[in-house]
Amino acid sequence: MIASLCAAFLLSSFLRRSISEPIIHLAKIAKVVSRDKNYHLRAPPSENHDEIGILIQSFNEMLGQIELRHADLIKAYDDLDRRVDERTFQLEAANKELEAVSYSISHDLRSPLRSIDGFSHALLEDCAESFDAQGRAHLARIRNAATRMGVLIDDFLNLARLTRAEIQLEDVDLRSLAQSIASDLRASTPERDVDVTIQPGLQAHADPSLLHLTLGNLFENAWKFTSNRPSARIEFGRTTANGRSAFFVRDNGAGFDPVYATKLFGAFQRLHTASEFPGTGIGLATVQRAVQRHGGMVWADSRPDRGATFYFTLERRQS
Amino acid sequence: MDPNGEPKIILPVEDNADDEELMLRALRKSNVLNEIIVAHDGVEALNYLFAEGPYAGRDLRIMPQIILLDLKLPKIDGLEVLRRLRADPRTDLLPVVILTSSNEEQDRIAGYGLGANSYVRKPVDFNQFIESARQLGLYWLILNEPPPRRRVLSPVRN
Repeated sequence: MIASLCAAFLLSSFLRRSISEPIIHLAKIAKVVSRDKNYHLRAPPSENHDEIGILIQSFNEMLGQIELRHADLIKAYDDLDRRVDERTFQLEAANKELEAVSYSISHDLRSPLRSIDGFSHALLEDCAESFDAQGRAHLARIRNAATRMGVLIDDFLNLARLTRAEIQLEDVDLRSLAQSIASDLRASTPERDVDVTIQPGLQAHADPSLLHLTLGNLFENAWKFTSNRPSARIEFGRTTANGRSAFFVRDNGAGFDPVYATKLFGAFQRLHTASEFPGTGIGLATVQRAVQRHGGMVWADSRPDRGATFYFTLERRQS
Repeated sequence: MDPNGEPKIILPVEDNADDEELMLRALRKSNVLNEIIVAHDGVEALNYLFAEGPYAGRDLRIMPQIILLDLKLPKIDGLEVLRRLRADPRTDLLPVVILTSSNEEQDRIAGYGLGANSYVRKPVDFNQFIESARQLGLYWLILNEPPPRRRVLSPVRN
């Protein structure tokens, strides 16, 4: 009896020393490694070549692997950081350059136009007897061109400003924004009778002034390109298009050939002559810039003479 | 003439000869018949206003009723002219209208920040230029009450 008790005690203390203690020690090291993120630590190797010895060896090999991966990860982070710094620096430099160019254009490019227009005006007044009807018509064309270029320069500067402006997000009631835009358009062309439908409950978290530019330009376009319609219709709402939720402005106006859809959003690109529909071709470029500043996009759908629908989103696509 | 019987002078500060002629033409066309003294850069404007250089000895009690200040000027630019005017008790209250090509935000902030009284963009269209000149003349030479003249202590010179 006593002998068997002694044997049990000896056996249990042997098991404790050879199995439990190394495992508890291993667990302690694992805890320290995970707490301190110190992957240099290793468990003291076992002198025995039993399962415990193999376990300790594998554990240490695993720590070695983690240490390597961790070093790789830190290097990748550092690379990424450096690349972000570099890109940010380049972006800031490009923005500064754009600002300098804009500033110079704003000050220097309009002044020669003022001379062209002003002295054409002076010619007409001071030397009127030297010009017949044709001469006066030529001068009128020169003056129109100067004025038009002044407008183009302003459009260009506004577009550049849009790229640089900081955006501030707020909750915007799109329905009331659209209603106020439509009532401004009605006031500017009281002779037109346009049926405007606006879906209720349209909300967005966006920059209010950029949103005003976006909707304003889309409504102005719809207003303009329905001017030949006896019963013009404009609709604004939210729908699912191309598999995502998007706002849309739809009209029953002149429309365009979808072949040219990609040209539509380029600055100063026009699909109609100025005598058909006036404009400088800056409106949709402005819309595109404004929605892109929110991470969104704009696209259009149309057939010639069958109206046009412009869709836009204000969020980055969830992937 | 102002209440003291002195002429109401307009001082355009303008380096561009075309713009100068167009401005004079626009002012004439809008029946502004006041004496106009043109400064062609910032230095000339400061010389006139502080009676220095070629203007040494000028009667400093006679100050322009309105200064039409361009921003982009050779030597000393418009904003620096404005800064120096506002820093000197002889000129700190003079009405200054910035009249320039640009409507860049940074210019408007700097201009008003330095104490400009008004900021007007020169239009490309000459008919609009005439209209701007007419309104500026009407407002600054007729409607607006100028600041009272300070007792000027001009620096003693030998």
